[in-house]
Amino acid sequence: MSAFFEVSSLGVHIGDAAILNDINIEFREGEVTALLGHNGSGKSTLLKVLARQTPPSSGNTSLLGSSFRTTGAREFARTVGYLPQHPPGTDGLTVRELVALGRYPWRGPLGRYNSEDHQFIDQAIHDTGLDHFQHRSVDTLSGGERQRAWIAMLLAQQTRCLLLDEPISALDVKHQVETLRLVHRLAEERELTVIVVLHDVDLAARFCDRLVALKGGRLIADGSPRDIMDSGTLESIYGVPMGVMERAPDQWVSYVH
Amino acid sequence: MYASTSGMPASRPVMPARLPIAAILLWLGALLASAAPWLNQLDAGAVLSAFWAFNPDNYSSILAHFSWAPRVSIAILIGCGLGLAGAVTQQVLGNPLASPTTLGVEAGGQFGVTVATLFAPGLLAFSPDLVAIAGGLIAIGMVIALTWRLGFSPVTVILAGLVITFFLGALNMAFLLLKGEWLGNLFIWGAGSLVQNNWGPFMELWPRVLVISVLILLLMRPLQVLQLGQSSASSLGARVGLIRALALFLVVLMTATVVSRVGVVAFVGLAAPVLARLLGARTFASRILWSTLMGGGLLLLADTLAHWASTWGDGSLVPTGTTTALIGGPIILLALQGFRNTHHMPGQESNLAGFQPRRRAPLLVSSIVAGLIAITVAVSMGWSPGLDGWSWTPVTQWDDAWVWRGPRLLAAMLAGVALGLAGTLIQRMTGNPMGSPEMLGISGGAALAMVLIVLTGADVGRAGQLGAATLGAAGALGLLILLARKHQFAGNQLLLGGLALYVFMDAGLRLVMASGGTVASQLLNWMYGSTWLVSETEAFGLLGFIVLICGLLALIVRPLTLLPLGDTSASSLGLPVTKARLLLLLLAAVLTASATVVIGPLSFVGLIAPHLARVLGQQTVGRQLIVAGLVGGLLLALADYLSRIVVFPNQLPAGLLAALVGGVYFLWGLSRHGRP
Repeated sequence: MSAFFEVSSLGVHIGDAAILNDINIEFREGEVTALLGHNGSGKSTLLKVLARQTPPSSGNTSLLGSSFRTTGAREFARTVGYLPQHPPGTDGLTVRELVALGRYPWRGPLGRYNSEDHQFIDQAIHDTGLDHFQHRSVDTLSGGERQRAWIAMLLAQQTRCLLLDEPISALDVKHQVETLRLVHRLAEERELTVIVVLHDVDLAARFCDRLVALKGGRLIADGSPRDIMDSGTLESIYGVPMGVMERAPDQWVSYVH
Repeated sequence: MYASTSGMPASRPVMPARLPIAAILLWLGALLASAAPWLNQLDAGAVLSAFWAFNPDNYSSILAHFSWAPRVSIAILIGCGLGLAGAVTQQVLGNPLASPTTLGVEAGGQFGVTVATLFAPGLLAFSPDLVAIAGGLIAIGMVIALTWRLGFSPVTVILAGLVITFFLGALNMAFLLLKGEWLGNLFIWGAGSLVQNNWGPFMELWPRVLVISVLILLLMRPLQVLQLGQSSASSLGARVGLIRALALFLVVLMTATVVSRVGVVAFVGLAAPVLARLLGARTFASRILWSTLMGGGLLLLADTLAHWASTWGDGSLVPTGTTTALIGGPIILLALQGFRNTHHMPGQESNLAGFQPRRRAPLLVSSIVAGLIAITVAVSMGWSPGLDGWSWTPVTQWDDAWVWRGPRLLAAMLAGVALGLAGTLIQRMTGNPMGSPEMLGISGGAALAMVLIVLTGADVGRAGQLGAATLGAAGALGLLILLARKHQFAGNQLLLGGLALYVFMDAGLRLVMASGGTVASQLLNWMYGSTWLVSETEAFGLLGFIVLICGLLALIVRPLTLLPLGDTSASSLGLPVTKARLLLLLLAAVLTASATVVIGPLSFVGLIAPHLARVLGQQTVGRQLIVAGLVGGLLLALADYLSRIVVFPNQLPAGLLAALVGGVYFLWGLSRHGRP
């Protein structure tokens, strides 16, 4: 597997405050990675840098070997899709219209949508289980359905990579699991690279191939769920004494002492 | 795999039938109403053919061909253009109240033309478009600069646009007062008159409108993507900044082209998209289409109304801009009803720049400001220009000078205090740094009452005017309370309701201005805050009143601290939210009304004083109130003094001076608001 993103000595500063400090990391193609850490640890910022939403103050980031600086906006959008933490209201768009906007990077301001585009749109709607809702207004959907509609837009974008910023934080347990299962399944089927910011370390361990933890803007842990799901490591990530039980192979339960 | 909510319609949403029906009715009605007078003189076929031919033997036919037909055509053309521009503006800013009018573009275009008329008439002959475009760009640039750091929230953008409109209006007025003889025609022009006497202007205009429209349509899909908000749009590869800039530039081009030819045709660009949306145009493409059509129909209707009003009246010209403004007010109110949540709208980002409050000791700051007031009073009473140069009036003679200088100074100062207090109340209540009594429309209500008095020509004297203005303010307040009750007196709805009231006032004023004559100058003097007519009893009455109100204010400091935490938190802390809001609203209105009768509706003091108090380090409610009151008093005392001496032996209205100076400060102050 080759490096999809390559981040070297990355730093982000806002005023005097350092949000990210000297981050060196590679994200490999076809891998589902969770970014962990407590609030303010810099994980959302790292994701935004990868999505080119926030320019780094120092250091270098490259996508598939070519530097961010040389990639065009739409070219980038054909490779990387980003779902912000709080997607805005959509002002009456139907699900299908929202998903169709995902084809923008491919067709641009003037290009016509052909049957291939419509096929991708149908596929994305189908994959997220939204067939029944495709003509409903997005604003009238429940939180979980709305989240799926936005993910469907990302799928229609046909990128090789998804960057998701806390996609499940507003959902109940059932929808959390469903959403992550969906992401996991899609990643396998389409060999997508997925980087997702998560708060729930157990779910992260369950659905991701790799866990990366940040603290105070620095990288403090990086490894497979088996490496990270260890009381000492978790304690250093979250700063509270924690314990871990392995209930079944590859299924961990963490708890706070 | 997913639990699907069954029973949901799986069919496509269809366009509601009322949309085309309403558009057809609007067009038919407007066309028929417009053609009605001609149908008496010509048969239907001849009226229709007036658009391309005329019968040289028939005077009516000639008139129809060269006056009526081009007027109808230009009204439709401009209406369509402005409707399109409005729909695009709303999309670009993700703001259902944005339009060329509310963003100050029209005022900017008008300002450009005014300046050119006065200082470079040659430029105007060369191309009126250029100066209007420059003015429009300046206005929208200022609005964007103002709101950049405040996160482009819809209400803030509209308020900033309003501030810019006021400011440019005040500048226009200053030119008018200083060089009035040059600008007579500008009034009629500025109020938007569509009277035509040949096909020339239409022929000149349509290719421009067409080209700009085509360019706008080319931007359609990128604009659609903007609906997803900045981060999603840019992660789809859209260059958000570039698209916004391009689209807004085209909007300015369209608006300025129109403004430079027929003057300010206010609110068509707002009314058309709002109507289209209310009638159910859902997607961006359909909104563009229907708002363009609605715009054409609306303006034709408004123009017909204006034409009828001119005919029925005493022959004085009623400009179309007046009737469109009369339509604009109700439309804003309609749009308001449709809002559920003004705090989060599509396209709005939540990255508010942090404002690092610095605190300073209140005693020190207020004593410094009080000291400055004392110095101003002393200088204002003593140091003045006379026929033979500047001189000091000795303290022993202040008794004599008091009659001339005292009451107006005292009244101006008290008005400043009242506005400072009212401004703080309103800004705290609405949680919006752009809120102020001027914006709440209460000043507008008072002004409207004055306009009505002047229009009816009744001579009621100063006391009568005072009473009427207070009534007007109370009326505006009553209307606001009615409007706002539905939203539990929530801040932003209140501000927008105020905006609608302002629009009404504006329409009335335009009407008076266009009719010209002595009534207009009488009104102008009051509008722009001439303090020189205040009598001693009035000043002392005001003093007593303000002292009384200040006592009441002590009661509401704590509720005012709680309210911005949100209704839920405030009421769960035991505050009767609705009652508290009502009380605050009443206080703010009374304060505003008492200030408005003295200084006119258009000073920026209520906007600036609270802001200055924050800059001076007063962050808590009580302290901000005290310092804002003092600062307001200082500002208007200073303005009153300057208005006496700047163009001695003539006088400028103090309110105008305050608005000009305050406007400049405001632009500067807000643009650095939140800079680390």
